[in-house]
Amino acid sequence: MEVLDILARLLVWLVLAPLLPGIINKVKAWVACRQGPPVLQLYFDLARLWSKGVVMSTMASPGFLIAPAVAWVAVVAAAMLMPLGRAGCIFSFDGDVLLLVYLLALARFSTAWGAMETGSAFEGMGAAREVSFAVLAEIGIITAILTLALESGSISLASMFTPPPGPGAALLAVGLFIILLAENCRVPFDDPNTHLELTMIHEVMVLDHSGPPFALILHGAAVKMMLFSALLVQAVLPLAHMPLGLSLAAMAGGIVLVVVAVGLVESLTARLAFRRVPLLLTIGFLFCLFPLLLTWMEGVL
Amino acid sequence: MIPPFFFGSLACLCLAILSGRFPRLWLALVLSGAGCALISAAQVLGDAGNWAWEASFTLGCQTPQFLVDGISALFLVPVSVIGGLSAVYSREYWSDHHHPDSAPRGRSWSAALILGMILVLSLANGLHFLLAWEIFAISAYFLITLDNTAPETRKAGWLYLAASHAGTMILFAFFSAVAARTGSWALGPMRDQAALAPLFWLALCGFGVKAGLFPLHVWLPSAHANAPSHVSALMSAVAIKMGVYGIVRFSAWLPLPPGAGWVVLGLGAMSALLGIAFAMAQNDFKRLLAYCSVENIGIILTGLGLAILAMANGQAAWGRVALCGTLLHVWNHSLFKSLLFLGAGSVLHATGTRDMSRLGGLWRFLPWTASLFALGSAAVSGLPPLNGFVSEWMIYLGLIRAVAAKGPVSGAIVPSVIVLAAAGALALAAFAKAVAIIFLGAPRTRRTAPVQECGWGMRAPMLVLAGLMLWVGLFPAMALGPAAIAATAWNPGWSGNVDIPVFHLGSLHLLLACGLLAAAYVVLRKVSRNGLRDSLTWDCGYAAPTTHMQYTSGSFAGIVTRWFAWILRPARLVRKVRGQFPEKALYLERTPETVLEYCIHPLGRGVGLLAEGAKKMQHGRLHLYILYVFAGVVALGGMAFWGGM
Repeated sequence: MEVLDILARLLVWLVLAPLLPGIINKVKAWVACRQGPPVLQLYFDLARLWSKGVVMSTMASPGFLIAPAVAWVAVVAAAMLMPLGRAGCIFSFDGDVLLLVYLLALARFSTAWGAMETGSAFEGMGAAREVSFAVLAEIGIITAILTLALESGSISLASMFTPPPGPGAALLAVGLFIILLAENCRVPFDDPNTHLELTMIHEVMVLDHSGPPFALILHGAAVKMMLFSALLVQAVLPLAHMPLGLSLAAMAGGIVLVVVAVGLVESLTARLAFRRVPLLLTIGFLFCLFPLLLTWMEGVL
Repeated sequence: MIPPFFFGSLACLCLAILSGRFPRLWLALVLSGAGCALISAAQVLGDAGNWAWEASFTLGCQTPQFLVDGISALFLVPVSVIGGLSAVYSREYWSDHHHPDSAPRGRSWSAALILGMILVLSLANGLHFLLAWEIFAISAYFLITLDNTAPETRKAGWLYLAASHAGTMILFAFFSAVAARTGSWALGPMRDQAALAPLFWLALCGFGVKAGLFPLHVWLPSAHANAPSHVSALMSAVAIKMGVYGIVRFSAWLPLPPGAGWVVLGLGAMSALLGIAFAMAQNDFKRLLAYCSVENIGIILTGLGLAILAMANGQAAWGRVALCGTLLHVWNHSLFKSLLFLGAGSVLHATGTRDMSRLGGLWRFLPWTASLFALGSAAVSGLPPLNGFVSEWMIYLGLIRAVAAKGPVSGAIVPSVIVLAAAGALALAAFAKAVAIIFLGAPRTRRTAPVQECGWGMRAPMLVLAGLMLWVGLFPAMALGPAAIAATAWNPGWSGNVDIPVFHLGSLHLLLACGLLAAAYVVLRKVSRNGLRDSLTWDCGYAAPTTHMQYTSGSFAGIVTRWFAWILRPARLVRKVRGQFPEKALYLERTPETVLEYCIHPLGRGVGLLAEGAKKMQHGRLHLYILYVFAGVVALGGMAFWGGM
């Protein structure tokens, strides 16, 4: 029974995740009055890439091919730790949320590794930016976790989201949304549409990848998007108190809503001047810090 | 069964000191000494319980007393493991063939260093502790300056000697104050004598110098960078842990002043953040590793500070978790840091430079070193499923449980959690930089000599360390047992099972490791089936990429060094291209040792000026000397007259 549960969840994450970039692109196309690529475009891309050959730089070691696989496994493992509304998690223990954060760090390390393999200036630049800005994103995430831990008195993902969201939830949502944009390389931090831009972070790191490893990178990015959306939705909505079906539906709806919001932000705002990126990330961190202070003050008063 | 092994280990190491001229005999003696020490530590950490022994003779009017309890045994394990492995490594790395003069000396002193550390960990008499501490400190000095032809090394050695003795001076004050107040040099639990509490600050400073806590770390980067790599591994992995041992030991024995937990926590968090910020800014890879030790000592002390706070507030729930994490991190840090230093030694051996901006693309020539160094880098960045994550996770668990408990201290712990998170992410950045700049991409300078991978004599110790790291990472429940025993020795009130879901973590780590291997296999197979073609780096269509276009260590760290410019104070020398006949452009950046150059050096210059001033009083004129004597006598008379009244 448990095996079936695990397989079902794995299937949900792996199969549904590539929908999200499709939805974002549809939203962007709709705002721009274009027809846009089909929602299922990423599935076609993945299938095509999976059957293609690979061109590898002469400078790169076999680690260049392995790094995307490591990153993909890390992201999927992190996703498997995430509870799904009322359905809860499969494995849960005290401190699993830290494992989730560090699995994402593992993905970052191996992506940066892959980028540095090619010895290209562009990819080095992307890797340097990615690991540096991640410092700010990570303190934001840890602060959000502290807030949730303080509210629920627990540090396992299974019970972290159970208390009904307090007044700080709105602030937390904004903070997590900013971090989501940064960690998933969306506008205003990064523009997933272009490659040859000197202000790129993530896209520039994967310039030289091709074939199956590149398919893993794209799929991993989609899973990561879904992971952050799921985190955001559960931190804000009282999903644990709804009946199973309703909570799953609410979660799916919430994720779609987040993704639509990402698409709208991407259509309506320009990318940020590069030197302002740390500023916006700090604002995201502060949005996560205020609910922490609010919860703490409630406890004191 | 402990005494024969323990004294056997001391005897073997004493003989090893004398047999520096005979490499094989020496290696056999050091390995058997380290093995015996490991066995006695394992017995204490097993079920044998504490071992205490008192001699029937006296040495310096004191009877030698030995005590090996959980804490000593926990620290004895890395001393013996890393001591033995670095001895094996040094056979090839610092061979008689290349260093006919210094190799025998080095062997004797490294045996003395290991002996000194074992004595420090096991002696329970203040006077003998200080003697052992001096043996340990001085043999480390001679090891750092093994290659005494380089002026930089001699300078690093002097700095180490001065800093180490400043620390020892504080320890002299500490031990004699303890002896004066308790009436005996014998050491043991003194929790009931509240008057001793302020002495904890002396211990924290004295041992903090050795541990390399942030403002007291001034000696550490240059000493660890300039020492031969097997010595750096021993120093960074184990020797600075003696300072940690002192702080852990005396926080367990002394009554603690009220703010002790906060101070240790704060110092630890500061050390973690600034240590890794400095590491990020380094271009010398051994210096980077040395600064990373400052960071890890900071992490260890953060956990210890939390444990002290928990003890003061009677909160076993999170205190014990943090303490177990702290003690396990002592093991983990010594494993990955020695692996990294040995790997760095292999790079240095092959290329002859410590400057990362001259390296690159070494994976092709040093595949073993590159993969082992990468494994160590992943572990030091705290990535699952390796050992670094296990202990950092436990420390986090303690911290966040303390916050979630909503106790009186919870709000004030929040900043330290955030600082630790930042330090963790920065560590990842620093090691992504180190491993990528050294091993990946293309060579940054043209090499004249061929680069050769190290032989099995150097590879085998690294492989053993990597195996131990994987063991702790994949089976953390087995490593938690000894840490829990040491934690009980630290505070006997905390006994029974520790509430850490370490078994769950271990099984997930195993699953993850299998998943990673499977994914790597599948991808490699799929790629080889689909077809693999080699080509130039595409880089969006640059036709002729040159190696000079690659990111360098300085540019990789640029964003972070700008954030920390307030303390790093990078000095830049820029010459731009201008005019019709421009001279060659230049951009040099150097990160100074801020604390040393902006605090300690001015202080030293002030002392020097005062001494210069005092020299004027020595002029050789007899009549003025007679005046000094007269004035002195009058002053004494005055003191006797008015003071006596």
